Amino acid sequence: MYQSLLTRRYLTSKIMPLLAILAVMLCSALVLTTWSIMGGFLVMLLKIGREMEGDVSISWPTVGFAHYERLIEKLESDPLIDAACPVIETFGVIVLPDDRQFGVKIKGIDERFARVAAYEQSIWWKPISEPLPKDRAREDVRLDPEWWSRRARMMASDGRIDAAEIAQYRPWEQMLADGLNLRERDPMTGAVVPAVVLGIELSGFSERLPNGTYAPADIAGRRVSEGGFTLKSGFIPNGSVTLTVLPMGPSGRAVGAVSARLPVANEFRTGLFEADKNTVLIRLEELQRMLNMDEAERLVEAPPPADPYATEVDPDGRERAPQRAASGIEPARVTTVLVKGAPGTDPEAVRARCLEAYAAFARELAGRVPSADQMHRTIQTWERQQATFIGAVKREIAMVLFLLLFISFVAVFLILAIFWSMVSEKTKDIGVLRSIGAGRLGVAWLWLRYGVVIGVAGGVLGSALAHAVVWNINPIHEWLGRALGLVIWDPSVYYFPEIPHEVIPWKAGVVLLGGVAFSVLGALIPAVKAARMDPVRALRFE
Amino acid sequence: MTRTAPTTPASPAPATNGAPGAPAAPLLSARSLYKTYRLGRVDVPVLRGVDLDVRRGEWVAVLGASGSGKSTLLHLLGGLDRPDRPAPPSAARAESGRPAGRIAFDGRDLAELSARELDRYRSESVGFVFQFYHLLPELRVLENVTIAAMVRYGRFGFARRRAEVEDHAKALLGSFGLSHRLGHRPAELSGGERQRVAIARALMNDPPVLLADEPTGNLDHATGEAILDEIARTRYAAGLTMVMVTHDREIAARADRVVRLTDGRVA
Ligand SMILES: Nc1ncnc2c1ncn2[C@@H]1O[C@H](COP(=O)(O)OP(=O)(O)O)[C@@H](O)[C@H]1O
Ligand SMILES: [Mg+2]
Repeated sequence: MYQSLLTRRYLTSKIMPLLAILAVMLCSALVLTTWSIMGGFLVMLLKIGREMEGDVSISWPTVGFAHYERLIEKLESDPLIDAACPVIETFGVIVLPDDRQFGVKIKGIDERFARVAAYEQSIWWKPISEPLPKDRAREDVRLDPEWWSRRARMMASDGRIDAAEIAQYRPWEQMLADGLNLRERDPMTGAVVPAVVLGIELSGFSERLPNGTYAPADIAGRRVSEGGFTLKSGFIPNGSVTLTVLPMGPSGRAVGAVSARLPVANEFRTGLFEADKNTVLIRLEELQRMLNMDEAERLVEAPPPADPYATEVDPDGRERAPQRAASGIEPARVTTVLVKGAPGTDPEAVRARCLEAYAAFARELAGRVPSADQMHRTIQTWERQQATFIGAVKREIAMVLFLLLFISFVAVFLILAIFWSMVSEKTKDIGVLRSIGAGRLGVAWLWLRYGVVIGVAGGVLGSALAHAVVWNINPIHEWLGRALGLVIWDPSVYYFPEIPHEVIPWKAGVVLLGGVAFSVLGALIPAVKAARMDPVRALRFE
Repeated sequence: MTRTAPTTPASPAPATNGAPGAPAAPLLSARSLYKTYRLGRVDVPVLRGVDLDVRRGEWVAVLGASGSGKSTLLHLLGGLDRPDRPAPPSAARAESGRPAGRIAFDGRDLAELSARELDRYRSESVGFVFQFYHLLPELRVLENVTIAAMVRYGRFGFARRRAEVEDHAKALLGSFGLSHRLGHRPAELSGGERQRVAIARALMNDPPVLLADEPTGNLDHATGEAILDEIARTRYAAGLTMVMVTHDREIAARADRVVRLTDGRVA
């Protein structure tokens, strides 16, 4: 009892304990901030990975595998599996409306992709009714349902853009539908044609504003062959791009490049900078056609004959070795089937079900699809596919936290020094307490309790500081960039354009407990010193 | 506040002035107390076989020069320190059959008490008053008094008795004319007021014994006299047994009995 009274009085009448609280506060804020940001980075990575790729992917790269519809049917009959969709993943070259070209990741998808991945959410150009949290000035063009028509009129009156471009302007609802379908109606011919959806950072035409929205560029210049420029609308979903891919022959050799000019239906933003910077989504059937992976009658290589000495007679009546090329219907193929588990299911459990389903599928179609053994290593959760990278991130977090913990140990010594001097200063008081009957344990508890109070106060204040910093890390970072030219968080290095800004409550709890533990540790030796003090000497102390 | 019944003197009547061969066992008794301080390699013997008996309700003054070991003796009696043991062998003493280095309170040997029991003894059976008041500077006057009860009862016991304890503390402070000072800090009080607060703290738990170490040594004559008057009044009212050490003959004269501490012995 007297301990709590004295703790209260010492706290309110001395400057030293406030310094100790400050030290604990700064250390716990440092640890919690770092942990939150780095941990948030990992959480965001995993979350977006799952949003983009579903829980499990079944893939046979490049050549792909056939009869995938049968596999999807099998997978979807499992109650643990919500949905599955066929995907082709390949690489290619894109040529943008302003003639820039670069290598991109190309993903062929169809409507079913939206059931497996958070595709609809990621489509950017669509009608929205509420502004983004940071868009307080309501600058987002998507909030304006008439933006597209106003823009078309503006462009037309300007006269700098040709009519074909202006005809491309569509209402937000239409853009969303086109994005989901990856098809677009050609305004000239009226025909529905396959289209692409680009990652929003890919073209660089739309500028990312600090409030999280994108502002379409007005005009993009295009150099023409005779010299000079023509002008194009800078709103990329109104343009078209040229994609070039390399179809592979049966032996895995490229059989020549295939190009197609495709309108851009929309843009998507996952929040994972890498994906938004270099991914192009295209209608699955179109990509299958370009890569010769569609169902078609083709010359296929027949299996070698059972008898190596067999002969056949050619149309001229001469004997010859049997021709190994034969013509036949080849089924459509995809490289990947993405699977989404039922809500709340552990991705590992979903993976186990996928392995089972694939084994049954491979038995059924033995010889015509890769065997279950071959496939075993390529049926993976997103986390496992990225295991090396995720593991590295996890180790880095652990290492940084360990270092910070080590640095925070300075606070233990600081508290020790402060408590040591306070115990010395309060020697006479300790003697008085002993003379009125306080025991050694009681005196030790006085100082330990004091350490607990300082730890709790420092931890709570530190946690508050960390919350304030983490919640506002992006404005702080922007301010640093403006004021000091310091840009630490480069989206091309750290994957996300925004720094993670969430504090997980249990982490705050752990840091708080750690702060208390460190304070008690620092108070321990002074407390023992106080307890061991000879009361008579303490009373005689000058 | 109730007293521990057995230690309460039956009658607070002033004891007969140190009459030899008084009946009844003494409340506080010291036998062959030795205390030697070690300064580096040199032994400084301070107490060399002190014998002292204090009867219930008696006021004993220990008169001695500065440095004669008066405070040391008081600390031993109050259980703040323990006498040397075993007592240095002394053939004569051993033959006389006296137990070596023994302090008994109400018949109980303090040496037999555990650390916890000794804490309890200091809390409940004795009250200390020091020359330099020794108040806790961060606490207010009332808290400086009630803290003795906080130490005694612990968190829950104190919480239960809080009102009772505070009333008692206020009554004590009131009896010393400090009712208007309850919320002040010690630094805001005069020396005499501080010593009164210290006495109130010593009396907070109604101990049967008050140990006063030159309680007026730091005060001017008039204030010292006033304090002594108050102490005397309180003693009669509460039936206190009191050991007061002083180097001042005049002050010692107010006691029922005066003993002298010279050469580490009581005469
Ligand atoms: N802790 C100690 N170490 C060494 N000598 C001490 C210690 N405490 C007291 N003394 C010595 O013991 C003697 C008696 O001290 P004390 O009991 O305070 O005497 P008094 O109260 O009569 O003035 C003094 O000479 C003092 O210097
Ligand atoms: Mg003294």
